[in-house]
Amino acid sequence: MSEVTLTIDGKSVTVPKGTKVADAAKQVDIDIPVFCYHEKIGPLGCCRMCLVEVEKMPKLMTACTMDVAPDMVVRTTTEKVEKAQKGVLEFTLLNHPLDCPVCDKGGECPLQDNTFKYGPPDTRMEFHRANNVKAAPLSPVITIDRERCIACQRCTAYSERIEQGQGLVMLNRGFYNEVNTFNNEPYDTRYSGNVIDICPVGALTNTDFRFKARTWDLTNHDTLCAHCGVNCNITVGTRLNKLMRIEARPNDAVDDGWICDKGRWGHNFMESQNRITAARENSVGATQPTSFPNFPIDAPTEHAAEKVAEAFKKIVDEHGPDSVGLIGSAYATNEESYLYQKMFRLLGTNNIDHKTYQDTPGLPIDHYDIEQIESSNIVLLIASDPTEELPILDLRIKKAVTNSGTRLLCLNDQDTALDKYADQKVKYKVGSEASAVDALAEGLARELGDAIEFSAALDQTGISADEMKALVEAVRSSMKVCVVYNPAALSGDVGLRVKRLLQVISKIPTVECGAIPVAPATNAVGAMDMGLVPDFYPGGVSVTDTEQVKSLWGENAPTQAGLSALEMIAKAKSGELKALLVHRSNPAVDFPGGAQVVEALKNLDLLVVHDMLETETTQLAKIVLPSNGPGFDEGTTTNIGGRVQARRKSLDTNHIADWKLLSVMLKTLGDETDYPRAAKVLDEISKKVPGYQGINIRGVGKSGLNREKVSCEEISIGNANIDSSGKLRLRIANYLFAHDKILDASSKLAHHFKASMAFLNEKDAGSMKVGDGDAVRILGNGMEINAEVKVDNRCLAGGVVVPRISNEQGVNGLENLDGSPAWVSIEKI
Amino acid sequence: MTQILFKDINKEGLHTMKVYEELGGYQSLKKAFAQKPDEIIADVKASGLRGRGGAGFPTGLKWSFLAKDVFPRYLCCNADESEPGTCKDRELLLKNPHLLIEGMILCSYACQIETGYIYMRGEFHDLSFIMDKALEEAHAKGYLGKNILGTGFNLDIHTHLGAGAYICGEESALLNSLEGGRGEPRMKPPFPAVEGLYSKPTVINNVETLCVIPYIVNEGAEKYASFGTEKSKGTKLVSVSGHVKKPGNYEIEMGTPTSELIYNLAGGIRNDNKLKAFIPGGSSVPMLPADKVDTPYDYESLAAAGTMLGSGALIVIDDSVNIVETTLRLISFYMHESCGKCTPCREGTRWLYQIVERIMQNKGQLEYIEKLEDICGNMSFKAFCPLADACVAPVVSSIKHFRSDYEEYFKNVGVS
Amino acid sequence: MWAVEILQGNIKMSEYKFSEDQEKEIATIFAKYPVKTSALLPLLTLVQRADQLVKPEAMVAIGKKLDVSPAYVQSVLSFYTMYHTEKVGKYMILFCINISCQLNGSDKLLEHTAKKLNIKVGETTFDEKFTLHREECLAACTEAPMMRVNDTYYGNLTEQRIDQIIDLLD
Ligand SMILES: Cc1cc2nc3c(=O)[nH]c(=O)nc-3n(C[C@H](O)[C@H](O)[C@H](O)COP(=O)(O)O)c2cc1C
Ligand code: SF4
Ligand code: FES
Repeated sequence: MSEVTLTIDGKSVTVPKGTKVADAAKQVDIDIPVFCYHEKIGPLGCCRMCLVEVEKMPKLMTACTMDVAPDMVVRTTTEKVEKAQKGVLEFTLLNHPLDCPVCDKGGECPLQDNTFKYGPPDTRMEFHRANNVKAAPLSPVITIDRERCIACQRCTAYSERIEQGQGLVMLNRGFYNEVNTFNNEPYDTRYSGNVIDICPVGALTNTDFRFKARTWDLTNHDTLCAHCGVNCNITVGTRLNKLMRIEARPNDAVDDGWICDKGRWGHNFMESQNRITAARENSVGATQPTSFPNFPIDAPTEHAAEKVAEAFKKIVDEHGPDSVGLIGSAYATNEESYLYQKMFRLLGTNNIDHKTYQDTPGLPIDHYDIEQIESSNIVLLIASDPTEELPILDLRIKKAVTNSGTRLLCLNDQDTALDKYADQKVKYKVGSEASAVDALAEGLARELGDAIEFSAALDQTGISADEMKALVEAVRSSMKVCVVYNPAALSGDVGLRVKRLLQVISKIPTVECGAIPVAPATNAVGAMDMGLVPDFYPGGVSVTDTEQVKSLWGENAPTQAGLSALEMIAKAKSGELKALLVHRSNPAVDFPGGAQVVEALKNLDLLVVHDMLETETTQLAKIVLPSNGPGFDEGTTTNIGGRVQARRKSLDTNHIADWKLLSVMLKTLGDETDYPRAAKVLDEISKKVPGYQGINIRGVGKSGLNREKVSCEEISIGNANIDSSGKLRLRIANYLFAHDKILDASSKLAHHFKASMAFLNEKDAGSMKVGDGDAVRILGNGMEINAEVKVDNRCLAGGVVVPRISNEQGVNGLENLDGSPAWVSIEKI
Repeated sequence: MTQILFKDINKEGLHTMKVYEELGGYQSLKKAFAQKPDEIIADVKASGLRGRGGAGFPTGLKWSFLAKDVFPRYLCCNADESEPGTCKDRELLLKNPHLLIEGMILCSYACQIETGYIYMRGEFHDLSFIMDKALEEAHAKGYLGKNILGTGFNLDIHTHLGAGAYICGEESALLNSLEGGRGEPRMKPPFPAVEGLYSKPTVINNVETLCVIPYIVNEGAEKYASFGTEKSKGTKLVSVSGHVKKPGNYEIEMGTPTSELIYNLAGGIRNDNKLKAFIPGGSSVPMLPADKVDTPYDYESLAAAGTMLGSGALIVIDDSVNIVETTLRLISFYMHESCGKCTPCREGTRWLYQIVERIMQNKGQLEYIEKLEDICGNMSFKAFCPLADACVAPVVSSIKHFRSDYEEYFKNVGVS
Repeated sequence: MWAVEILQGNIKMSEYKFSEDQEKEIATIFAKYPVKTSALLPLLTLVQRADQLVKPEAMVAIGKKLDVSPAYVQSVLSFYTMYHTEKVGKYMILFCINISCQLNGSDKLLEHTAKKLNIKVGETTFDEKFTLHREECLAACTEAPMMRVNDTYYGNLTEQRIDQIIDLLD
């Protein structure tokens, strides 16, 4: 891109062509006041606050709408400009109530600030200010004060250009303009809260925060959201160790300045009645009311940790190392996961896992950062539904499609909200993803002259040969491809097949390529990197790579692949596994198998659960250890783009930190390392984990650092085969805004909870004689759940999509314990 | 009097193809199709024709600004006619629809356009039927549609109705409205010639402007340019309304003295009252006092007199009126029509209204006048589009020329 | 208060059905434009001419046809003065009060009309026959004072002429 040099107030500045004068001024620390302009939303030209003088132009110009031009001379402080600024501010304030003393925006209000700097000292308005509705709900979580609105249109432009949902609009005309929704319905998109951050006055406020504190009394903590794999940057405002509000903390590489509503309001769990506040033993079924986080220092927790370590050691001594196992967490920090795998490998086992699907660490091609989506000319989205799973990723993809001309290709078994933006949508039958992915890889390989046969059975997928050909062609002829896929939504070994596909793409000489694995969990990438898997040590070092394992982890480090999470459950059932430690995970509900999982866990000699909230699994534990979790904990997480960022604590607790608890267990097991701070764990990670060299807390700073490539093993895959038993193949759709332990019934976001639904194809609905709105029972794996039918062809015939919308619903129980394809039948009630 | 547009305006049945053709209609097409498109643009440039919608931008020049080699392109005829005082386009649409169609065909051929829209204000619902009928006839004759007169040139023209918004007369707001949006003006640049309707190069011209084109093609640019003054060429339709005996639309040669229009064509002031003021170019331009009545009616002379030719609507006000009343009505209009997008216009128009209303309630103070002027200063050239400036024009000019009318009200302060 | 609004949002709106003739007309409207949204104003006009107002369910239906949100439809609709969301009389009288008409005595005539209809400006008669509105310039200034009744323009008004016109409408 070419550069342009211009002069602003005598200072020369060089910026890329297409930059707005308002942004160019920022580069040389010249403040041009704005209201309506927001660099992420683009120019509107509504408020006229940014008027400047430009040489050779007779009129004052708006700096926010004007592109820089070579040798342009801009003046921002002339008499003419100052007069205009005063005039515009006078107009802006004309009908704005002067209720600053009770306004939540007070202290951080651009209208206050601009008036202070540029405004007239008083007003000549002598009429009654226009009356308008004060404080009306715009949604259950947003309050609108129409009297304060200065009609800058930032919020409506956000709805139109960023969300692209046209939910929030300007109604009426002229002086009667108002921000509103259709027919007064609530404005309740998944990312509605951002309008609060961008409103330059106190018109849109956070209902939860209103009148709770003055902004200047808040202590702000720069940290990360912990709800999904994007790891959006947030600022948590606290007062007297109480959480007051959460705001976006723009980081272009991650969130582009936006956060979703779960990030903003889904924080009730921090103060939930369900918090585990103390270690307890044999207390199956009991929950204790809490006063978290201000409970007394509890030595017993550390004591309990020691006891846990000793107990595991004892079982290992009696039954051998493979009689114990760890189910780690895809939500924990890198530090916690690292220490946990270290502990179990010290116990001599590789029975370590954190997931129910097959996957390996690393990628065979570049791991793209989220920002790369915008510079790719093709985004190939496989089995992913960002809108439901990682909403801020959805915004980024939409932005790329609308602003950068990126073409979106969707390969999925269900329809998603992003399909609308897709250049090409290829839908395969539920359960046939292996063949669909292989067919694409095969097609591309053939183009390369490689007659590889991956034995893809295209006919079983429901995809036509032409569709596949077009998809192959689109990828082959692109310049830069970013493959975005959700390993957690792929059954069996399809995650590995995608990696094989990536390998093929990487061989096309004309295509620059990378991928982003978008498993929805907060630290899914970190958990893989940290070696929370049975066959890899941290950094993608295979357990069978004896030499490297021994050099990094010592002579006694186990070098045989351990059990996967689902295998551990199976062995628990058969009695071969004696003891299991579960960290921040709820297998009883979230794993396939349902009742069988519960039976298996009950069968263990020792079940230790280390978690922050009571769950169905903690109820089964012999020992429960408290975990701090987001808000209280400190450490790093690695987002879907491979960016390592620091999660800092916002609230103080007397509770012992997870990493510290782990260091107690490690010490008990004979590990001599001293961990005085969490950052020390990170230092060890940077030494021991390939890919994490050079990552330290200072380097990570406020905006994170990309880790290096984590190595990826050669991929070996068997043949795909689909069996069919005449029933419907179940596809569980993941929803971030689900009614679970994090968003419980008291959540501010309860209005997002959905009813249990079964999405059917017309054909199946017809042959089963069920229709829209019918109540049905879905039966599978000896379990059943109730749902309402929606006939909408979200998936092809032969499948059924059932979203995971709550814990109670137990939809994962319909899947088999071994994780094999789940077939369900449907009965009308 | 030279009559170009109004030559046969009152002929019975002029709106039908039959009569229109009998009078020589559509003759220009063959002539035009024998030329290269660029030659026609050059002719229009040479004719000196300037846009009759209000801004007076040279028409040929505007056409030559179309982004090179970008297709499709669109033509939008601005038939919104909502400037108070203006009703000349309505008369053309009502009585001579084929003239507009002929002009649009010529423009489209010159600019290589295959789709045209006639954007009419919503209140012209009935007129749109007349227009649709005429379009149908032209289609049947092969003047519209595919391969027009065997030239390979295709053109379709459609009518499109607005729904009540003055601002949609502003060209970029018109485009938004035609695209199915709120009639808020767009940022410029990009100008419509580069990115207009559906982001494609677009020509937007007023009805009257387009109606002149057949004459230029038929009779030649030189002939057209021989009428009028040195810089304001040709003829102009002027809607004369207000306190005159014979209000109506009159076609005059540019440069005709305004007094001629008022006293001769329009029959003089009603009730033989005295002329007090006149607004020469539609409500958006500054008013002038009676002593300027001899100003020649053309772009330059009116500009020199401190006002504008605008859309060609001469509003005549006699001495029975207090100008403040008229001014308040005009402010009220702009307040009602402000789209609300930008602050100075949305807030300023209302504030001006509140102050002048207060004055008229005999509750004003002398300082109000300076305040009005200052507010006007803060509005003019600072808003998103010229609507705010249009509101300022009557206020500033009425204070300038008729300050005593304001002072009338201060005499009675306290007396209601 | 919120509960009330939530309820409003959740009230199941009945589905708006276009008649067969309307569907045909819609097809011809669509054919005029390369981009669907351009049909928004014409569709709103179509619906209003049939129903004398635009109901929320019609906004939803139009939004569906054009692939835009109902909020967008409402946003556009509310910008223009010719659309109504509340029922108006059989005859909509728009009385121009802008400058040329004002100069020719429209204010008095408007008052007269209101008195004749026994309503205030902006209101609808009890029998829902007439609605009277003040209107800005309608581009008939040379015939001032004037008014528009539904689609018809009436110029050169006097009190007698207004009485005659109104009396002739049934
Ligand atoms: C507020 C405003 C209202 C306008 N209304 C009209 C109008 O009703 N009719 C019209 O032809 N031009 C109107 N214009 C001028 C148009 O923007 C544009 O200049 C004109 O249609 C161009 O055509 P022309 O070059 O043939 O004059 C208006 C401009 C503004 C700023
Ligand atoms: S609510 Fe706030 S962001 Fe929206 S238009 Fe009003 S002032 Fe601007
Ligand atoms: S910031 Fe430039 S017009 Fe609002």
